[in-house]
Amino acid sequence: MADIHPTLDELDRDGALREAGARVDPITRGSFLRRALAVAGGAAAAGIALPALSPGAALAQSGSDVDILNYALTLEYLEAAFYAEAVSRGALSGELATFARTVAGHERAHVLALQRALGSKAVKRPSFDFKGTTGSQDAFWRTALTLEDTGVEAYQGAAVNIQSRDILTAAISIHPIEARHAAWIASISSRGGTSPNSPAPQPFNPARTMDEVLAVVRSTGFISTMAGATPSQGMTSQPAMTG
Amino acid sequence: MFHRAKLAELDRDDAILETAADAADAARSSGTTRAAFLTRGGLMVGAGLGLGSLPIALAGAQGGLSSGDVRILNYALTLEYLEAAFYADALKRAGLRGNVLAFARTAHGDEQAHVDALKRTLGGKAVKRPRFDFMDATGSQDAFLRTAMTLEDTGVSAYQGQAPNIASRDVLAAAGAILAVEARHAAWVADLIGRGSDPSPAPDAFSPALDMNAVLAAVRRTGFIQ
Repeated sequence: MADIHPTLDELDRDGALREAGARVDPITRGSFLRRALAVAGGAAAAGIALPALSPGAALAQSGSDVDILNYALTLEYLEAAFYAEAVSRGALSGELATFARTVAGHERAHVLALQRALGSKAVKRPSFDFKGTTGSQDAFWRTALTLEDTGVEAYQGAAVNIQSRDILTAAISIHPIEARHAAWIASISSRGGTSPNSPAPQPFNPARTMDEVLAVVRSTGFISTMAGATPSQGMTSQPAMTG
Repeated sequence: MFHRAKLAELDRDDAILETAADAADAARSSGTTRAAFLTRGGLMVGAGLGLGSLPIALAGAQGGLSSGDVRILNYALTLEYLEAAFYADALKRAGLRGNVLAFARTAHGDEQAHVDALKRTLGGKAVKRPRFDFMDATGSQDAFLRTAMTLEDTGVSAYQGQAPNIASRDVLAAAGAILAVEARHAAWVADLIGRGSDPSPAPDAFSPALDMNAVLAAVRRTGFIQ
């Protein structure tokens, strides 16, 4: 079976994302702001669990913001599936099990928030094959560390390209959570003496571009089948499933 | 259940008001000195600090900082002064050991690098370093850990609260690079205290933001700034 190397363009198999970007709903920024997400301060003080990206908020997003949100959604699908599988396989114990359960919940919440924000423009969840990395403690933490570091770098790199203030506010409420996950798993792994990973290896966290991140994701081979992908696009396994 | 203290609960007298006022003055005076700032253009965060290749080019090279960005950067600098001084004091007198000592050394180096980068970027508009007194907070390893977690949690929320207000793309990029490191510190110290369960290194799926007034009021009430 040939390796599948999906890119975001492949995820956007029918050009829905680009089209969506081209027909931005004529909602004024003011009205969008009023019904968009809860922001710094009040909502935070109230201990909100969701950044309240409103359903259908994507209507007012620029095309590039839709692309960025779908890029984030793809990464969150990947992370959520990885942790869900790790939890369900039951190979983890102690601190790693606590970490996996907690992070699984966070990544699922990120997926739901992004899906709600994108509405019908959300990319479909791909199929995943984690190649045994969820079946042992050692493989799990190494993979988790890579995924979380990559997640931090991805949000950081994308943030500066976001047009909407509200989308930026939401993205940077997720960015530090990925950083917390990354530090947490590094702290667990270094405590066991099995890893020299510092939870905070540099004073300035590096950022990565979308292309760089997608190359990392491709190199894992974890995305096995794009939902709805067709053989002509290089997908060899599952038949096309219409969304 | 671990009590996750808010900065306001660390409560003491007043002090940072002056610093905040200085920051506001610096911001006001910066509005008309864009040309002067440009003469220092081309600054890179961390340039000359031996930090290797940083992906952060701050706004000096990009046409000067807006007065709003100067205000935000001085606010960030004040918080970084506080954090750097806190870790320096703890390394001297808190009797830190093992993994906690490793954390404090790393965090101290990171916060000092943030201070240096922000000062370099602000140049003549940088607020002065206040005087600090951390009292009992650096008197023992246990007190150190709890205060460190509160300071780092606050740092994350502070950067997060300002990010949407930043005008310069370069300043936003730098803020993101620092924000992630503050979040790493926050998770690391929580893990050292609770071994991953209580307090959790990642207590929520979405990180809360705090606005500038809320953070400054909380910092003021700690009494750490003389």
